[in-house]
Amino acid sequence: MPGSRSMRMVESALRCYPRRWRSRHGDEAAEIACLLIKDGTPARSVAWSYLMGAARTRLVTGPRRRLGAAAAALLLAAGSLGVPLALLSSPAPANAASVAHSRTAHPRPAGLRSAELRHGGARGAPGRCDRHDHC
Amino acid sequence: MAGRERDDTGGQDVLRRAGDASVLILTSLADGAKHGYALIQDIKGFAGLQLGPGTLYGALDRLERMGLIEALPAEDRRQPYRITAAGVVALRTHLDSIERVSSVGRLRLGLGGI
Repeated sequence: MPGSRSMRMVESALRCYPRRWRSRHGDEAAEIACLLIKDGTPARSVAWSYLMGAARTRLVTGPRRRLGAAAAALLLAAGSLGVPLALLSSPAPANAASVAHSRTAHPRPAGLRSAELRHGGARGAPGRCDRHDHC
Repeated sequence: MAGRERDDTGGQDVLRRAGDASVLILTSLADGAKHGYALIQDIKGFAGLQLGPGTLYGALDRLERMGLIEALPAEDRRQPYRITAAGVVALRTHLDSIERVSSVGRLRLGLGGI
C-alpha cells in the first residue's frame, strides 16, 4: 500500500473532478493510482495526470462550454453572411443593419470576406481597424 | 470481434483527431473487454508507453460519447469496457489510413513498401 502522503496527493487531484465523474469513476481511479504507485510510478506523476484530466473534463462538460459553442456558432454564422467582426462589437446597431444590407445587395467573393474577417474589416472603411501591425 | 461490421461513418477516419490514446485503447480492446488498469498494462506491453490515468479516463469518456466503446457492468470497483461495432469500423479505417501513410513514408525513405 503506498504511503498516506502519496494517496493524499492523488485524492486531492481526484477531488478536482466533477461530482458526477467521481461517483462513476472515483473508486476505480483511486485503485488504479494505488496499483500504479505500487508498480513504481511516482505519486506526483499520477496526481498530475489526474489533475490535468480533471481540468480537461471540466472544460468539456462545464456549462461554459455551451456558452462558448453558442458564441462560436454566432461568429461563424456572421462570418458566413459576410458581416465584418468590427460590426459585431459596434455600439450602433442601426449602422450595422445598413452595412449588412449593402453587403447583401453587393455580395463579395468569399475569399475577400474572409480576409476582411482576419484583419477586422476593409482598409479605410469607417469604424474599422486600419492598423494591421497589432492584429 | 473484428468481423465484417457495417460502416456507418461513410468511410471517414473518425479517429484522425481523437488522439493517440484513443487509438491505443481501441487497439487494446480489439481482443476483448478490459478495465482501466488492464488497459494501461496492455498498452504498456504492446506500445511501450504508459498512459497516465487522467489521459486514460479522458479518452475512455470521449470514446464512449462517440459510441466506439461501451461500459460493461462493473465488477467490484472495476469498470470493464468493450469495443462496439462502430469502434471496430473506426479502428479499421484508421489503421488503413496510417498504413497508407506508412507505406508512402517507407517508399520515400528508400525502405521499400510493407
